[in-house]
Amino acid sequence: MTQLILALTVGTLFACGAYLVMRRGQIKLILGLGLLSHGVNLLLFGSGKLTLGEPPIFADKKNFLVELATRQFADPLPQALILTAIVISFGITAFMIVLINRRHTITNSDVVQGELVPLLLEGDPFATGQRQNAEGFDWLAFEVDEVYERGQMGERQDGITPDSDESAALEKDGYDIR
Amino acid sequence: MNPNLLAVPIVLPLFSAALLLVVSRWGGLQRMALQRWLAASVLAVNLTVALALAHFTLSGHRLVLQMGGWIAPFGITLIADGLAAILLTMAAIVFLAVLPFAIGTIDLHRERMGFYPLILLLLMGMNGAFLAGDLFNLYVFFEVMLMASFVLLTVGGQPAQTHAGIRYVVLNLIASLIFLAAAGIAYGTLGTLNMAQIAERLELAHPAVRTLLAGMLFVSFGSKAAVFPLFFWLPSSYHTPPPAVMALFGGLMTKVGVYALFRSFTLFFPAFLVTWQPLILSVAGATMLVGVLGAMSQPTIRRTLSFHIISQVGYMIMGLGVAVDGQKLVSGFGLAAGILYLIHHIIVKSALIMAGGAVEVEMGGDRVASIGGITAKRPLLSLLFFLAAISLAGVPPFSGFISKLSLLQITLDSRHWLVAGVSVVVSLLTLMSVTKLWLDSFGGKYRYPGRLAPRLLDRPILRWLVLGPVAGLLFLSLGLGLNGERFFQIATTAAQQALDRAGYIAAVHPVSPESVAGPAEKGGYD
Repeated sequence: MTQLILALTVGTLFACGAYLVMRRGQIKLILGLGLLSHGVNLLLFGSGKLTLGEPPIFADKKNFLVELATRQFADPLPQALILTAIVISFGITAFMIVLINRRHTITNSDVVQGELVPLLLEGDPFATGQRQNAEGFDWLAFEVDEVYERGQMGERQDGITPDSDESAALEKDGYDIR
Repeated sequence: MNPNLLAVPIVLPLFSAALLLVVSRWGGLQRMALQRWLAASVLAVNLTVALALAHFTLSGHRLVLQMGGWIAPFGITLIADGLAAILLTMAAIVFLAVLPFAIGTIDLHRERMGFYPLILLLLMGMNGAFLAGDLFNLYVFFEVMLMASFVLLTVGGQPAQTHAGIRYVVLNLIASLIFLAAAGIAYGTLGTLNMAQIAERLELAHPAVRTLLAGMLFVSFGSKAAVFPLFFWLPSSYHTPPPAVMALFGGLMTKVGVYALFRSFTLFFPAFLVTWQPLILSVAGATMLVGVLGAMSQPTIRRTLSFHIISQVGYMIMGLGVAVDGQKLVSGFGLAAGILYLIHHIIVKSALIMAGGAVEVEMGGDRVASIGGITAKRPLLSLLFFLAAISLAGVPPFSGFISKLSLLQITLDSRHWLVAGVSVVVSLLTLMSVTKLWLDSFGGKYRYPGRLAPRLLDRPILRWLVLGPVAGLLFLSLGLGLNGERFFQIATTAAQQALDRAGYIAAVHPVSPESVAGPAEKGGYD
């Protein structure tokens, strides 16, 4: 019974994680990765023997062999593995959050918000037919749906139209806006 | 040979990275100099140890270290055989070559953000992955390497880097999770994580377990090695960090995945090398073809080169596909050809990326449409780029020729006409692509993208720092090409060692817990 519950939990976590990772939203991405790593951790947990209330230690060192043959043990190895895996996934998740926050700052700050749309149009090789702009298009393409969410393509919700000064300011700040 | 030497390539970079973080606060204006010299001396020691290990293992030995004296399945096992030692040496060479290039081209901001400690941690992760003797340590060292690479990729925080970083982190994390799940399943079904013991017990395991593990490891390592359907993270991220970082990544990172594929398939699943041959060969062919076609359509030098990495990985996978095949040639010829290709690729790719990076440093951009005529101003750079490019494509005096020739020999010998044809076509397309790249950016009228070309290579010190390593690596490639037979012999030794599973298991000599602690109960998990 215990294994069945564990297996179902692992399966559910994998399914939810895979679904969330494939969504566009950034928070969903982090949550999805978290669920996936939890799923793997539980899988590791299930790879040892599932015992209830049995410590992974021997009380009596002298009768080691007898105890080993007669008693049930919790397997300590999967626990050690999970601990390592948790630390690693914790570190990577923290890094991911910082990275996504950084991207959010870049794309959502006062300067770049207005910059995004003209850049998208300018950088889109299909819209303008300019092959040499294809390079800048790549990373911006990821943001198209965010632009749609924020407002209509090409206009900001606050009605301010982006101008070329912003682009100059960007260049001055060291952003690579090619 | 003292087995404790095996710990040096892991422990030395780790501790010196910590030391470098400490000394980064010392010495005022000179503090970068201290870090640079320390990093250089650590990398030199690392190369010496790697060469010593290679010398020992390539004469037919294996070196095993059981950490803390714990016998095999209980403690941490480090093992070096020919394949691992070759890769250890290549990594050491490339790091030592990239260091001067990085000193010349990395901006001070990134240097202060801990560039040198990070590359040492990257080296530690790679060395650990090559030497790991159990599956979980392989995972841990993969993660150490990836963590360092995440930071190296994103340090500087440019928008393009941040976007690329997110994709890179997510896709590598998912691949790692699949690998970790495979390790968990291996422990659950086989009761061990020691690679030698897994190899031993997999023979007796249920066929479904073998298929599941082989599939999961193939997907996970394949994704890290950037093979055909799983390569998309590579071209969208590798061109964003500074050229020095890209040289390390492009030369070595994906090759750790290739190494893991070589190791796991020869050690765990020798039967699948035969039964899965159509799958492996078609993946290889598709990787080669898609990589080179992608490369031909790219607008900048570095993007083109990152697609070439994918195409080249295809050749190595092809070597894995024909590892145990062949009719007239000696056994292990295919894997030896793959290993030789691995050596060639690591050298030449790093050289080519550094040459491309030098163009970017010199001209202020690397978009082919907006640069040109470098040959007139920088003849040496032009020559080095050209030589590296034709070596990549496989033109005779260089190492590309013998490695491609030996791969072609074994595919023809084992009658895989289709993949042999694809590899020849891809070679031609590679030649076409790099020649076009060279003609467009180095020939024609002198032009540069910005208002003013930085022309950093006007400074003589910088010129030697940047071009010296490229020349050195090309010299190695030439040596490899001219002494083809000798190096192929070395690769054959490594391949036969890798294919000799019984020898590997005997060297690690894992004992089963039952034999140590008496009879344990059999049965399920309840």
